[in-house]
Amino acid sequence: MKLKDTAKAFLYLFPALLIIGVFVIYPMIKSFLMSFYADYDFFNDVVYRYGLDNFIYLWNDEVFHQALRNTFIFVLGVVPISIILSLWIALMLNSITVLSKFFRTVYFIPFVTSVVAVSIVWRWIFHSNYGIMNYFLGLFGIDPIQWLTSTEWAMPALIILSIWKGLGYNIIIFLAGLQTIGDSYYNAARIDGANRWSRFIHVTLPQLAPTTFFITIISIINSFKVFDEIYALFDGQAGPSNSALTVVYYVFNKFYGEWDFGVASAAAYVLFLIIFIFTLIQFYISKKKITY
Amino acid sequence: MKKLSLLLFIMMVSVLIAACSNSSNESDTSNNSATDTKETAETPETTEPVEVEFWHAMSDTHEKWLEDATAKFNEEHENITVKLVNQGSYGDLSQKLLAAAKAKTSPTIAQAYAEWMTDYDQNNLVVDLAPMINGENGFPADQSYEDISEVFRDDNTFGDKILGLPFNKSSRVLFYNKTYFEDNGLTPPTTWDELATAATTLTKEIDGKNVIGMGFENGLGTELSMWIEQAGGDFVDEKEGKVLFNSEAGLNALTFIDTMLKDGTARMAGEDGYMSGPFTRGDVGMYIGSSAGIAYVAKDAGDMQWSTTPLPKGVEQAAPFQGTNITMFANSTEAEQAGAFEYMKYLITPENTVDWAKTTGYLPVRESAQQGADWTSFIEENEPFQAGNAQYAYGFIDVRLPGSFAMKNAMQVELDKMLYENATPADTLEAMSSKAQEALDQAK
Repeated sequence: MKLKDTAKAFLYLFPALLIIGVFVIYPMIKSFLMSFYADYDFFNDVVYRYGLDNFIYLWNDEVFHQALRNTFIFVLGVVPISIILSLWIALMLNSITVLSKFFRTVYFIPFVTSVVAVSIVWRWIFHSNYGIMNYFLGLFGIDPIQWLTSTEWAMPALIILSIWKGLGYNIIIFLAGLQTIGDSYYNAARIDGANRWSRFIHVTLPQLAPTTFFITIISIINSFKVFDEIYALFDGQAGPSNSALTVVYYVFNKFYGEWDFGVASAAAYVLFLIIFIFTLIQFYISKKKITY
Repeated sequence: MKKLSLLLFIMMVSVLIAACSNSSNESDTSNNSATDTKETAETPETTEPVEVEFWHAMSDTHEKWLEDATAKFNEEHENITVKLVNQGSYGDLSQKLLAAAKAKTSPTIAQAYAEWMTDYDQNNLVVDLAPMINGENGFPADQSYEDISEVFRDDNTFGDKILGLPFNKSSRVLFYNKTYFEDNGLTPPTTWDELATAATTLTKEIDGKNVIGMGFENGLGTELSMWIEQAGGDFVDEKEGKVLFNSEAGLNALTFIDTMLKDGTARMAGEDGYMSGPFTRGDVGMYIGSSAGIAYVAKDAGDMQWSTTPLPKGVEQAAPFQGTNITMFANSTEAEQAGAFEYMKYLITPENTVDWAKTTGYLPVRESAQQGADWTSFIEENEPFQAGNAQYAYGFIDVRLPGSFAMKNAMQVELDKMLYENATPADTLEAMSSKAQEALDQAK
């Protein structure tokens, strides 16, 4: 009976497994092996020698180090601000009743719009002469900023775009989380004389912890994998002087540009390891801290 | 704030709509297999009907011409059907060709830069055309292979192998705003000094616009070979794989560009992507760009008076010739290869190469065509087309070494520090040359 159930379950899962197997599992194994190709003929699948050469190359490659640095800056820039901002907006949306659906839609639009279209619009927004961003800043007496053509501002521009883009998704998840918090908690807090701020700190935040945890993990993973935004925002470049070069962009360049397939796979696996470690740490913390 | 978000929303929607309609255009046109091929053969070399798949990256007017020419070819050749497949941009095309090569599903022929062909050759992915060119079905006597301009033949010659035939070839030319030049008593610059002077003169307020004299396209890293050659230097020794531009000439070239950028008489295309935008808006007085941009400038110029002129001379005259060739993949049958070769020859017959050039701003690839009455009378009437035609005598082609992509990338990264930050030309030159050499050595 057990065997029969398992077989039946497998039958149901088979289509999904087939797709995952072909498009996820196989590439994962293949690129893992490829990261150890030291001497090979890519097109005929002949490997003359396996080795750690690709990883040693990455260890010594300044460009890869820069890509790593940029990626960390990007993650640090996007994730905290995005979470705080979206929580704040979600709280406001949760408390208004009029037009809340309308606003929810408005905030969600960036998420469902194609990255390329969004980036093209933002290229105009960031335009130093004709952009609305500098026009806005100009109203406050701030000199025009070379958003897209200076090494200092390219990364902030990218971060702003990415925060805006991810906002909608985070807000929806937060809203769902807020809705699960029972009124009884708030009422109890009110009876105890808790003001708005205390209610937020002692009721909302702890109750939202699992949601926040989920969003943090997703945001961090997504931010580590950033690519499309850069490609579109800087017109097929990684920003002036590689100032917006991230690890995925590096992988892309190595693979498609330089035909350095081994190094590209190795870099992809380094990124995978980093994300993996971060996720483990988060799970560890969440076990300790989230008690609900 | 609400207005802003509304504006944003409208902008986004319009971009989306534009994007969608574009892509549907592309998919409409990507499938262009036509004529039936069931009748018996007339041409002796191909007895069985064959289908030739051609991957290209042409869009707009360029694609339209290609479709018409291909339909005509298919009609004239009973047994050969050429199927055009639009693969998007050159970047997309390159990626898809790589993937197809790995999957052993390469098309019969595709557009390719000489730089890509280096990689294909190294991995034995492409066919040497020399036997076909010299064979009995080679070029007819009145439109011989040797009639193709030397600079284009060189671009396809790798040692004793010929790995492609030229198709859409362009040169770099100087676009200038005629009205600005005439109003300020300027003539089109013929030397670097005149270029600098004109840039200085034109950098001022004209009709309430803050005009900047000179413009550079963004990929200045790839254009650098031109500036260095013009300064009398050498770029890279292709045989030895040695970077040669860390020289006085190299320094002069960088200093020339840097001085203009720093004193504000020149600007980069920067966030505008291509210079044709700012140029047709009247924001810059002149710029150096691809002759294939003529079609784009013409489209946006409106009633603005403009033309092109040959590249100004530094110590020497030098003009790069660029654009893609058509290369043939080894993963095809002999019959397909024979059919494809017919088609490749067809695209650059004297009549077709001229017709193509007239439509697009690319250059005729045959000497007889460049000097023929059809073309010369056309450029007489259409001034912007003249400059490119004048530059064959001192034309040169890009470096085609393994590692070229990495080299150009590394150079651009260092050059950006000078263009957008404050790195000095001397430091930039030093860094560029060592990074470029590293990239070439890495690929050896």
